[in-house]
Amino acid sequence: MFGYHGKAMMVDLTARTVDWYPLDEDVLRRFIGGTGLGAYLLYKFCPPGVDPLAADNPLIFVTSPLVGSRLTTSSKFAVLAKSPLTGFIGDSLSSSFLATELKKAGCDALVITGKSVSPTLLSIEDGDVDFLDATDLLGLSTSETEDVVKTRLGRITRVACIGPAGERLVRYASIANDGGRQAGRTGPGAVMGSKNLKAIAVRGRAPVPVYEPASLKEIGKDLTRRSLGPATEKYRTLGTMANVAVFNRLGTLPTRNFQQSTFDLAEDVSGEQFVKTHHVKNAHCANCTIGCEHIVATTDNGTSSKGRMEYESAFALGPLVGVGDANAVIRASHLCDELGMDTISAGATIAWAMECFERGILTMKDTEGIDLRFGNSDALLATLGLIAEREGIGDLLADGSRAAANAVGQGSADWAMHVKGLEMPGYEPRSLKTMALGLAVSTRGACHNRSSAYEADFSSRVDRLKADEKRGRITMDGEDFSAVLDSLIWCKFLRKAFDDFYKESAQVYEHITGWSMTADDLRRAGERINNLKKLFNMREGWTRKDDGLPQRVLEQRLTTGMVQGIGLTREELDMMVQSYYGARGWTENGTVPEEKLRELELLDIDAESLDSVFASVQTTPLPE
Amino acid sequence: MIEAKGAESESVTVRIELFGSARLAVGQRQVSLGLPRTASVTEIAGALADAHPELVGKVIREDLSGLIESFTLNLNGNEFVDDGPLRLRAGDSLLLFSSQAGG
Repeated sequence: MFGYHGKAMMVDLTARTVDWYPLDEDVLRRFIGGTGLGAYLLYKFCPPGVDPLAADNPLIFVTSPLVGSRLTTSSKFAVLAKSPLTGFIGDSLSSSFLATELKKAGCDALVITGKSVSPTLLSIEDGDVDFLDATDLLGLSTSETEDVVKTRLGRITRVACIGPAGERLVRYASIANDGGRQAGRTGPGAVMGSKNLKAIAVRGRAPVPVYEPASLKEIGKDLTRRSLGPATEKYRTLGTMANVAVFNRLGTLPTRNFQQSTFDLAEDVSGEQFVKTHHVKNAHCANCTIGCEHIVATTDNGTSSKGRMEYESAFALGPLVGVGDANAVIRASHLCDELGMDTISAGATIAWAMECFERGILTMKDTEGIDLRFGNSDALLATLGLIAEREGIGDLLADGSRAAANAVGQGSADWAMHVKGLEMPGYEPRSLKTMALGLAVSTRGACHNRSSAYEADFSSRVDRLKADEKRGRITMDGEDFSAVLDSLIWCKFLRKAFDDFYKESAQVYEHITGWSMTADDLRRAGERINNLKKLFNMREGWTRKDDGLPQRVLEQRLTTGMVQGIGLTREELDMMVQSYYGARGWTENGTVPEEKLRELELLDIDAESLDSVFASVQTTPLPE
Repeated sequence: MIEAKGAESESVTVRIELFGSARLAVGQRQVSLGLPRTASVTEIAGALADAHPELVGKVIREDLSGLIESFTLNLNGNEFVDDGPLRLRAGDSLLLFSSQAGG
């Protein structure tokens, strides 16, 4: 077999055993790798209805056929589990040498089940597994953990680990890996923490043969050339931070918990400003030629801090919480990375709490003296620390904005800005109508990356301020494209470098695996993967009302900037959601019909659980 | 609205708002530019290159035929501009930023 090993490593932490699960050509061709193969394995090994923090929830790391090929941006992996934040499918991507090392260790995926009785460091070396004591790692930050593990097992070892937030089961805890990169969204770090698994160390030496190495090398050279051209200019120059100033001008920069869509201090935390005053250097992921990472550092007299800065972190720990001090944003982002927490969910949950505080629903007594107002950067930093330790107000906020609002009540759910429990990213849906639909229907909750629906809004294809029935098809196509991208796995920032993405990707797949693959096969795989993700959610209790947006978005018009007066009604959103279901060939209830599963070769996935899924379909109520 | 005869040939002053690499190259957040009332992207790029040659090769194509593909123009925050001629009015804003959305 070329490009794959044809097997997943199955680790049971309870029994401390290792087994191998075969992955045949049919499964690999249908689900490719990354999030696609991960969705297949999750559907297969996650017991229906399982508590996400129970031992039986599998934590799955998946590589891809591209990993090990040395093609630019190809060293990526996916992490999947049932999300402790949403109760639905949780999938996250990260880029680092951990991906190549895991594949060289001899497996296409690592499926971890069970729960260790004591803190554990899982050491994987060329297919051999050791369950090592990790008691001495407890309480360490992510960078400290990685450093200690490397000291113990060798500097060449690649490490994935959790920080204090994962240990304390913060529901949006991330998994840090290989120098501070994060698999951030949907809370995989909490699942890892629930298994008493502090870190995974991987070392592999097995070559990963490809079918046509000579021609793949030529393709690789061409892709590298294109990756350095205009298609990636933004990422190399300013990085994703370039969004801040533009989004502010266009009225799409969520501010003060989505109460506004422009921020008066936006220029102070913009990419243009960071480049001038905080930029240290550019950095690259493993095997990447783009170099989108911008390392920034504080410049004031406070505690020195340095790290990567991305738009989503800057938005969530800046405008969303009313903070316009670039040094504070850098500190907060770095702190989240060290504690092992998703910056978006952390910032958005604190933004919810700040609004509660300003409305008098949370008081100084609740916060134990923290003046939790918008714009108070000291309060932001203090609260991040409390969340990771689950101390004081932090214990409430560690479960995310949905759970916190349910606990506090008093109408605060109206401004808990999440979809399906996952906090909203930095795209204002009222002034980006395609994105609004993408956020509403995404299987992992409020996610911008699994549809990239914003692309249509930032183009002449649509009027971003008006809803219409074209958006269903656009969103579906974006989701299927993203599913292929995230399964092969290419970096999203490379997407514009392709002349014909599906055709070129199919050729690459053939050169790596030696198996035939057409552009249409890949398109169909993207559709299949998204249907499988939806099927997982249906099994876990999804209903039509889960495909919605926060009340604030649907009931309040925007009040600032060029989009003042713009809103999004329930009727407009419902119309777009129905257009999406129609484009997908789903029922008007939003469920996947049996004939669609047959068409997509999904009926064999798990006959027993499919029966229960279809039984639940009959009783799914229409939304009020 | 019926325009006076000859209005097509008159020029108007518009504001070019610069973001990302364009702002870094020019060193200003915005510049003013005289443009024909009806202008193509090529004409806009040419006029901008005359005023700010530092943008050529970074934002504007070397042959001045338009913008490098990684940049886009937006009229007043509302309308993304493709190749077609654009009707401009005095006081309009043309936003110049990366065409690579997302992140």
